[in-house]
Amino acid sequence: MSSSPQPTWPAPYKACLALAFDLDGPTGDAMLNGSIWRKPEYFGFGGYGPYRALPRLLDLLDAFALPTTFFVPAWVVENWPTQCQAIVERGHEVAYHGYKHESFYALNLQQQKDVMQRSREVFWKHLHIRAEGFRTPSGDWRAETPAMLVDAGVTYSSSMRGDDRPYLVRVPGHATPLVEIPGRWEMDDYASLAYTRAPDFPSGLDRTASYELTLDNWCREYDGAMDEGLCLTTLFHPKITGKPGRILLLEKLFEHMRQRDDVWFATCRDVAQWWLKEHHHG
Amino acid sequence: MADSNVWPRGYRCAVVLTVDYNDIHGILTQAPEVAGRDKTLSVWRYGSQRGVTRLLDLFKTLGVASSWCIPGIVAEENPEHIRAILADGHEIACAGYRHQNYDNLDLAAQRADVAKGCEALSALTGQRPTGFRLPAGNGAPGFIETLSDEGIRWSSSWRGDDLPFAHPTAPQVIELPLHYELEDEPYFAFNLSPAVPPAQSRIASYSHTLGNLQMDFAGFHRFGLCYVLRLHPEIIATPGRIGVLRELLEGIQRHDDVWIATAGDVAQWWADSSAQVSEDHPAAVYERHYRDYLK
Repeated sequence: MSSSPQPTWPAPYKACLALAFDLDGPTGDAMLNGSIWRKPEYFGFGGYGPYRALPRLLDLLDAFALPTTFFVPAWVVENWPTQCQAIVERGHEVAYHGYKHESFYALNLQQQKDVMQRSREVFWKHLHIRAEGFRTPSGDWRAETPAMLVDAGVTYSSSMRGDDRPYLVRVPGHATPLVEIPGRWEMDDYASLAYTRAPDFPSGLDRTASYELTLDNWCREYDGAMDEGLCLTTLFHPKITGKPGRILLLEKLFEHMRQRDDVWFATCRDVAQWWLKEHHHG
Repeated sequence: MADSNVWPRGYRCAVVLTVDYNDIHGILTQAPEVAGRDKTLSVWRYGSQRGVTRLLDLFKTLGVASSWCIPGIVAEENPEHIRAILADGHEIACAGYRHQNYDNLDLAAQRADVAKGCEALSALTGQRPTGFRLPAGNGAPGFIETLSDEGIRWSSSWRGDDLPFAHPTAPQVIELPLHYELEDEPYFAFNLSPAVPPAQSRIASYSHTLGNLQMDFAGFHRFGLCYVLRLHPEIIATPGRIGVLRELLEGIQRHDDVWIATAGDVAQWWADSSAQVSEDHPAAVYERHYRDYLK
């Protein structure tokens, strides 16, 4: 890992916002262990994301002209291809997020490669794209994952939590490093607003936070990161903040964000390309 | 811009007030060891003791109709409340007989519970219920068809949409989907032992909960959707919280383009006016896949 000093951004910008959503749909642990196929109610909770929340969210992103990255498990693309094509058609980025939201920590190297290959085929078949980015589902990956990603054509990841600036990850055997655009739990809508029973989330069925105070938190994170000239990305989910009430929360957040004219609003792919050009002199 | 133009008489959105009246039978399913523990049970008896009447009074004051989802055994044990709910013009729907977790029942047992619940309610009300809500868990494959066979015309147990939808396997059954953010339980339910919620979380702020519910309504209204509120008499109908609900409902009533109706009326409208679900509806996608995995 090569640490970067004070970031610089394309003129005239002083900071960067890389808005990102994980369009998980009904994928995840309950699909991986098969239990979801006895839980139509929980399947519906997830399916709401691509089916109902995403179209509304794309309208909102248009209204604020916010380029956005969607990390999408390929199973979601297979089952809601029209909705996912709209992401690309409306100028946003689609990037890798597993096939059924696998934890890469739980997969051996060959299984990781298989997930990437299958996702690559699904993205090409339904979206006619080659994705460049990857966000590791469910947290962790294995030591061999970065090299596997580069082999699979990935140029950046947005998986880690330990910085508020992008950084370069040197990958043995490869001349070009992997760019990491770290996220923060503070900017994950699951941490404040997600709630389900059976499976229980949060595990102790803790309270859902106040929307007003959640907005205040997010605005403070944005203000702080922008004032320091950093790069802030988000781990939002259409099925959580694309609900009819919460999308009004996003609208207020985007209004707040757009008040500044010194912020570069960019997809994660554009941020990664910029960072590589600025910091890698191979 | 509303997502939809689907409601009668120029209404922009629909609001359905549902009440899950389970008395002690919900917690007895969730934590069977509380049987005989009067202090704990009294937390849930509060609904029958105080909450139901307070809630009915509020609905009467505001002039709104609601739909009550009731296990048959609760109705048998509280017939005077059933008569009061009916007398005030509210709808009574079935939540099975004994308030069971349907994940633990096979289809035959689920069918028997639905039938027994409907019979118990019919005996008290003189009308067979046309609505059903799962007390807990999920229906087995074929459950929606079973509901249809039992005369059920609306269900309110699934998620996956913010408009009603006709079930792909039995389109005569209309689903009014639920939303966790429109339930009182996640914000307020509390008991010390057994711990409810399991994390022993602090009770949420009343004013901020009202703010959340108001913002949720604003979204459902703006996009022209079906706002299904899910209340519990023992949770929302306390002296302090009934004001939260009153303020929420008064705010909703200030709009002249909101259709506040029973689940039965909304489902009937939907059945008469709307098409079947599309192939990419979550219920249809589920239907295409689940058999491949249940082997």
